[in-house]
Amino acid sequence: MSITVDPRRKEKINRYKAPKNAGQGGANEDMLPDYMNILGMIFSMCGLMMKLKWCAWFALYCSCISFASSRASDDAKQVLSSFMLSVSAVVMSYLQNPAAMTPPWAS
Amino acid sequence: MRPLYAFLLLALLCACQVRTQEFEDANDNDFAEFEDDDEFVEASFETSPTAENAETITAEGRGGAGAGPGPGAGEAKLKPPSASRIEQDEDEDGLVEDDDDEFEHFQDEEEFEGYDGGDGVKEAPIDQKTEPKLNIPNIPLHFRTHWDSYWMEMLMVAGLLAYFANFFAGKAKNARLAQLWFSTHKALLEDNFALVGDDGKVEIENPGLVKESESLYTLWCSGRTCCEGMLVELKMIKRQDLVSLLAGLMRPQLDQAHIKIELTKGLMDGFVFAVGTKKTIAKVFKEYTDLSKFCSLVAKPEDRYNVPSGFGVLSEIPEATSSILESRIITALNKYQSYIDYLHISDQFSGPIQQEEGQSTLKQPETKAVLLAGFNLPKHAEMETIKPLLLLIFYLMERLKTYRMSKEGKSKSDKNRLRVEEEFLKSTHAARAEAAAQRREDKRKQEKERVLADEDPEKQRRWELKEQKRQAKKNAPKMKRLAVKSL
Repeated sequence: MSITVDPRRKEKINRYKAPKNAGQGGANEDMLPDYMNILGMIFSMCGLMMKLKWCAWFALYCSCISFASSRASDDAKQVLSSFMLSVSAVVMSYLQNPAAMTPPWAS
Repeated sequence: MRPLYAFLLLALLCACQVRTQEFEDANDNDFAEFEDDDEFVEASFETSPTAENAETITAEGRGGAGAGPGPGAGEAKLKPPSASRIEQDEDEDGLVEDDDDEFEHFQDEEEFEGYDGGDGVKEAPIDQKTEPKLNIPNIPLHFRTHWDSYWMEMLMVAGLLAYFANFFAGKAKNARLAQLWFSTHKALLEDNFALVGDDGKVEIENPGLVKESESLYTLWCSGRTCCEGMLVELKMIKRQDLVSLLAGLMRPQLDQAHIKIELTKGLMDGFVFAVGTKKTIAKVFKEYTDLSKFCSLVAKPEDRYNVPSGFGVLSEIPEATSSILESRIITALNKYQSYIDYLHISDQFSGPIQQEEGQSTLKQPETKAVLLAGFNLPKHAEMETIKPLLLLIFYLMERLKTYRMSKEGKSKSDKNRLRVEEEFLKSTHAARAEAAAQRREDKRKQEKERVLADEDPEKQRRWELKEQKRQAKKNAPKMKRLAVKSL
């Protein structure tokens, strides 16, 4: 398996081109952050509108997962807005009713 | 991005509205409470003289027999207002009632002889009335709840803390592993490529791995014979995500290195081939266009090509497959069985099968000659053990350059490519015809607009005539014109 001749060719250097379908759901594309973003938004809305505290907390977790697995090329603003929404859902739900959370199965 | 912000704003507005409404409600309630209190206070002040009267009157009625509210107090209560009314009637109507004057006689000690419980009796009922005022439960409910009742919240916060602690630890570990892989292979890569590591900037600032996400690192190498470039993707376990880690307990995953080499055009003969673990082979067979169109799954590859058990082979042209799977490759496959996920060689690679039916399906997708490989990284970070796998890739590249198929193989390969192309054309015939009709219609519309925009009426008239003729020709029944010779 040894290679005797130097295989390097300076004139054959091609610069890296990012794949065209990046961020549009290719086969190898990881869709988890996008799903988590959407799920977080839905949970935030449920938490805000229906005053469900556990929804607000879930939204916070979803945005955490979305943040942890987001790509470097992704828009940071999107992750940030998802975070803000879920945090506001938690804060709002405790401002409205500071009582302790009841788990969904208890009510 | 904008709709998202609009959505966020809307959500916040809604929340604020709900909050203000709640606040207003609370205010209303507070006022209601205060009103109640006032009423209560008023009532107590109103009733106290009445009660006082009642006591004294009862005392009067009983002739100073005793003091304190008795069972007949309720009845007695009714008496004084009527008495005062009688008195009032005797006086002038519309006079402001003056309590002091009216009940002055009650204060007169001489009025009730032998009745001694004046002051003591007076105070006792007031105390009783004011007592419940202190017990008004205006303390919100939650202040009385204990911290213990917030156990769910504590659990949630603890979960968040654990998540972030794991995030930083996992992120650091992934970065360390990727760096270790790079440092191990750096020398070998530099011996083979003129450019190792491209960060995508005009002037390469920091050659080396590029972090795509916390669990995905890429490395671009270029400037070598036989190939246009090589992209290495280090797909790590998502150590930074606690949820993925927990999911990994159910379905164990491995750190992987995916290598994609774009071969120089015309370097290799036309054939498609893949070897790998049975699970991966089954997956890629369904996923990739070239494999699903050109290849068939080889039955009993262990006997036919001597591949290690647990491996599957997808082959288009048997002779090409057997010459690729020669003894050296088989030895390597056997030796690094646990580290090799798949090897995929194709001159017709066009990526994964497109799911959506769009405009792009009218044209046959562009194909490239590639060499793909997927390797599992060792569990205990002994990167040296997989270093020969990169050598195997370079060896395969050289082999593809030199290997030429026989005439029969070539004709078979050409036939296959033609068949796939025909199939594609057939499947998109209706769509293509529709697209062509649409194009014609658009062209005609444009021409009509152009003519109508023209000032010259003569030109317009001519165009209309032409159009009419064309329409008539289109609508006329199709028949053959026969030239009849006149006799």
